[in-house]
Amino acid sequence: MTRTHPHNCWYALATSEEVGREPLGRRALGTGLVLFRTDDGVAVALEDRCAHRPYPLSRGWLDGDTIVSGYSGFVYDASGMCVRVPTQDEVPPGARVRAFPVHNDGVFVWAWLGDPALAPLRPPAALPWLRDPGWVTIGDVWETAADLALLHENFADITHVAVVDPFIAPPVLRDSPPPLEVEVTETTVSFSRTYTAAPVAGWHAELAGLDPESRHVQRERGAFVSPGLWVDSWDVAVDQGPGAPRELTFRFTHAVTPVAPGRTRHAWRVSRNFAGGEQASNILLPIFAGYYRRVQSILETMQGVLDAEGPRREVNVSADAAALQVRKIIRNMVADETGTPVRRGTRPRPGRRAGVATVPAD
Amino acid sequence: MTATKTIVREHEADLVVQLAESVADGVVALTLADPSGDPLPPWTPGAHIDLMLDGDLIRQYSLCGSPGRPESWRIGVLRAPDSRGGSERVHAALTSGTKVRVRGPRNHFPLVSSPRYRFVAGGIGITPILPMIAEAHASGAEWTLLYGGRERPSMAFTDELAGYGDRVTIAPQDETGMLDLGSVLATPEPDTLVYCCGPEGLLAAVEKLCEGWPPGALHLERFAAKPQEQAPGAESGFELVLERSGLTLHVPPERTVLQVIRDAGVAVLASCMEGVCGTCETEVVDGDVDHRDSILNEDERASNEVMMVCVSRCRSARLTLDL
Repeated sequence: MTRTHPHNCWYALATSEEVGREPLGRRALGTGLVLFRTDDGVAVALEDRCAHRPYPLSRGWLDGDTIVSGYSGFVYDASGMCVRVPTQDEVPPGARVRAFPVHNDGVFVWAWLGDPALAPLRPPAALPWLRDPGWVTIGDVWETAADLALLHENFADITHVAVVDPFIAPPVLRDSPPPLEVEVTETTVSFSRTYTAAPVAGWHAELAGLDPESRHVQRERGAFVSPGLWVDSWDVAVDQGPGAPRELTFRFTHAVTPVAPGRTRHAWRVSRNFAGGEQASNILLPIFAGYYRRVQSILETMQGVLDAEGPRREVNVSADAAALQVRKIIRNMVADETGTPVRRGTRPRPGRRAGVATVPAD
Repeated sequence: MTATKTIVREHEADLVVQLAESVADGVVALTLADPSGDPLPPWTPGAHIDLMLDGDLIRQYSLCGSPGRPESWRIGVLRAPDSRGGSERVHAALTSGTKVRVRGPRNHFPLVSSPRYRFVAGGIGITPILPMIAEAHASGAEWTLLYGGRERPSMAFTDELAGYGDRVTIAPQDETGMLDLGSVLATPEPDTLVYCCGPEGLLAAVEKLCEGWPPGALHLERFAAKPQEQAPGAESGFELVLERSGLTLHVPPERTVLQVIRDAGVAVLASCMEGVCGTCETEVVDGDVDHRDSILNEDERASNEVMMVCVSRCRSARLTLDL
């Protein structure tokens, strides 16, 4: 099976709070990882498999800055080097487990599963709104039984929201959308649409303290930051008296991590710069969780169709422009890092590249 | 319901020249940054940007700093007196503190992962190679660089290359004569990629020497359009089907595919209009494409998956594109 996910990318493996002084086992790109913090609080990610027998280190325990296998008793330091074995004085030379570069931004612990030498050359994106006191954030995390690509294509076009969840959808999504502006760079895609003044959804007006009949210019923005990260926004222009017009913004952060082919970990956060407070959060959480659960179910159903029938040539519309650019970037990233010939096209062409050597699956 | 209008364009920004320094005879290195201090878009080795100079003058320059430092980009610009004036303009106008409109980055010269590389650079063609070497070196790949130039003072960034020791061969023509390409390329090596950037003469020589290498081993970047042989026989035009738009158009011999697409009101990205930048890469559904660009390699042309609509045409009666 051909590898479809870039490995040279920062992927979120856990929240910052989840990683502590107990070993935490996680999977990404088909690899088991064990996460923990040293005494100094530095997050560490090692391969979750003792070099002695195939037993996960996450089933063991921490001893200072080292982790001890719960079966062999082999002891590994934070660089993955085996530093002690219980049955002999001599540590088997070269015994070690892989250590992965880690980035901890205070919200998520990100790991780099590709070439470790390249990690410092690919700085992770900053997500300051997740820690800024001016923003209030809710969220959840779960695994979706669908491939990473399906999640990306879902984020790249929100015109489905009006179909999938009419309650949550801004009323403007029910009409023919205004022009979509897509901006590309070598490795990123962003898009925006500005809607003419219209009411916001009922729950949104109530939360923001707006007259449900009042009309507001609204702007949708989305950005494929990397194969592991999407950031979207929904801005509502409000004119509240003498001050300059300001924007009430929902910002959506999606940290997506391929667990294995057809399985993706999805950590989502919904941040807002208005209507702070726990009561508002308690109202919003089920609204957004409900929508994202519907999306999860739909993507899992799509994956089921793909698994049963294979890919087929799809009908794309111009609203898919961002998704097509994302596909292209991911495909080029995989081709460059695996050394397989670059497939420049994004169209599925089953069978055409049958002679091309493939690399091990994720 | 009216159709959604979609505009796809490349990232553009007004950047400030933080530093303009002379790094060799006739070569200036510019450090560009966002005036707000925000990080610039990410890139990988081999990427280039457009400098959008006054009077619709657009020039492309490889990024030659480090992708690990998103706070700024660096480019190296050779003053080419016989050019159409772009590099002269850059040297004269882009001093420290001035602003310049920039588009990109994009990358048609990506560094494909490999255990071994043979880098060959001629003159200012060293610029995309610099970050490639840094990355190959960090990854522990085996690599060598053959870097030719007219004379030592005209060769930029030799100081930065000094740290790599004898992996780098600096070969100024007035000291060592013609670049000894045969020493590096005469015998194809397994699991090895060749990356070459420089003037057309060097590229042509490297292309010829690499004919015996496995397909896909050679990666080239051209800064000027490859000389094209005239297509045999006069073309009488062809039918153009834009599948997603549901349009059937006619491309007469005197108009490009891109012009006909744009006249029909369909958005497609384009930049250089001479088949060198790859911005207008468009997916082909059907048709025998007459590739006239300087970007696609032979494998990619043969696959018939994409074409550059600014210059490439069609040999068959009908061309169908995914637009």
